[in-house]
Amino acid sequence: MATETESLSTRIEIRGLVKRYHHQPVLNQITLTLNDGDFCILVGDNGAGKTTLLRILAGLVQPTQGEIAVGGSSLAVNPNLRRIIGYVGHQPMLYQDLTAQENLRHYARLYQIQDTESAVTHSMAGLGLTLQQDQPVRTFSRGMQQRLSLARALLHNPSILLFDEPYTGLDQDAAIFLDHTLRGLHTPGRTILLAAHRPQRLLTMASHIAWLRNGCISQHILVKNLHEAPQLSRYLQEEA
Amino acid sequence: MKPIRCYLGVIWQILRKDIQVEWRGRQGLPVMLVFALMIVFLFNFALQLSPDLQASLTAGLLWVSLAFASTLGINRSISLERETNALDGLLLAPVDRSAIFFGKTLGNFCFTSLVGLVLLPIFSLFYQQNLLRLALILVMLLGLGAYTSLGTLLSALSIQTRTRDVLLPVLLYPLALPILIAAVEASRGVLSGRALGEMSSWMYLLLAGVILFNAAGLIFYETILEE
Amino acid sequence: MPKKPSLLTFLDISALILIPVALVLIVFFTPVEAVMGSVQKVFYFHVSAAWAGMLSFILGAVAGAGYLTSRRISWDWLSAAAIEVGLVFAVIAILSGMIWARPIWNTWWVWDPRLTTTTIMALIYLAYFILRAGLTTPEARARLGGVYAILAVMTVPLTFFSIRLFRTIHPVVIATGGDGSAFNMTPRMLTALFVSLFVFSILLAALVWHRFRLAQWQNDLPQEVQ
Repeated sequence: MATETESLSTRIEIRGLVKRYHHQPVLNQITLTLNDGDFCILVGDNGAGKTTLLRILAGLVQPTQGEIAVGGSSLAVNPNLRRIIGYVGHQPMLYQDLTAQENLRHYARLYQIQDTESAVTHSMAGLGLTLQQDQPVRTFSRGMQQRLSLARALLHNPSILLFDEPYTGLDQDAAIFLDHTLRGLHTPGRTILLAAHRPQRLLTMASHIAWLRNGCISQHILVKNLHEAPQLSRYLQEEA
Repeated sequence: MKPIRCYLGVIWQILRKDIQVEWRGRQGLPVMLVFALMIVFLFNFALQLSPDLQASLTAGLLWVSLAFASTLGINRSISLERETNALDGLLLAPVDRSAIFFGKTLGNFCFTSLVGLVLLPIFSLFYQQNLLRLALILVMLLGLGAYTSLGTLLSALSIQTRTRDVLLPVLLYPLALPILIAAVEASRGVLSGRALGEMSSWMYLLLAGVILFNAAGLIFYETILEE
Repeated sequence: MPKKPSLLTFLDISALILIPVALVLIVFFTPVEAVMGSVQKVFYFHVSAAWAGMLSFILGAVAGAGYLTSRRISWDWLSAAAIEVGLVFAVIAILSGMIWARPIWNTWWVWDPRLTTTTIMALIYLAYFILRAGLTTPEARARLGGVYAILAVMTVPLTFFSIRLFRTIHPVVIATGGDGSAFNMTPRMLTALFVSLFVFSILLAALVWHRFRLAQWQNDLPQEVQ
């Protein structure tokens, strides 16, 4: 299964994406392209539609209009594409009564991963959770649940990663750990889109930055060219 | 990996997970069983039922208890997914979402059937009749198959409303009425000593329900859960 | 506000003319039934209302399917309008059934298969509105309402057959025999019945259309006022 998806490009093309609630567009003609290996930070005010955009990319929400293509294939038509997408949202998506290991095993089996046990062990070790593997998730702190949620998202070795404000509610240590993990995840062949409220710490890691304003992407630039976008720089400083 | 194997694998895994969560928490089955027994006692006093209860009333009482207990279980099953948004986790799986429907339905079916199998000897004790008949078990399983598939489908609707669990009975009972009528009549016939063959109209109705509601789940579950 | 279509005006006028015509037919043209007397004449409106209700629910399901395939919100307006009007007709059918039952069997309620099925259907579609009321966005109301409308209409045959089968096994003992509503229909009665059915269909079309237009206008109102 890994061989099937390795050959798929992870280029994400969003064209004319519209999403309406109460007949009002939350997302209004979004056009965005993310290439293989891009690490893009998505910034915008609360309620701008960052969560909605990420959830649409993850396949959890259907767009009202528009197209999303992953590696040339339409996301709407091909549920198999979800195999290469990993999503970390606001909620950890874990069963509180089960242990960390049991939760991961459940997801490993949902994705029909070939060698379940080693994938689970590997994922947990990578995020420093091996010691807590037999504890029920109910006993985990917010930071630990976040880590486990990340382990869950990485189980199937996705080449596209979507993060929705992953730093929310994390203490200093947990945030540093997340920085470290994200750096490690940014490799060629892996595309990352991360919505952040306070993106300062990420500017050293990310390659691109996109600004979601009034329902559309008003700017999408390379981080190193940030000095050429005074409005965006000012916005980022205000957010800090 | 072949899509069919993947699809069936997801169904199996959801069932496994539901059983595992139940085993760990043990909040679902005992509650369902106790609730069913409470219904029996309540009706016993409310309707002044006597120990030499006729077969017709036994059948009715059995199915009322099963319907109430089942609704409780179905509600709990979907609420579990709502907690920490685990349902989103299921939606992320790279399969057609109807697999989630079949997985949850199987789980609900197994739990309610278990409650039913425990109720049969208890009823036999309370009402001095033998309910441990193969024909009755068959009717029970067929009826519960139809009831739980309809309930699972509707629970996906109710969980999205503001009133959540409270809405499920409102949606389920009117639509499930033909299933309950057929189940009671078939059970009544079996308990009166009639052969299963005589109950064929009712059995066909139950079978129609099983097919109809599972087909509806296959077609509509994805639409219901998408946003 | 879009101008009222002339076809709708035609339907309104037709209904306004035909209803009194039907009434006259029923009161004067049809014979008085031998056993039940004049009260039997409720039958024409009772059956027509039940028929119109059923037709409306089917329309509601079809419109629901229309929304699910096209995702155009006007299909949902039609679906909700049809089900709302259908519910009204179902209630009329229930009430007229009860009025019919009272002088004949000296009771306001009989567990007759048709009356019971119609009442259950009314409950099912009442639940439709409770479902919609619990949903927060119009998109969710349209999507889930559509699914429910289709599911509900699919279960109607099941409900009808189960209750009819139940009644053949547990018949209600009534003086007039059978399920109590059987009587031989003369040609005049048949004519009156077909006229009633036709009139109610026209009335149905007019009412659903009006309700649909109401939903259209409601949508045009600014968000705060809706």
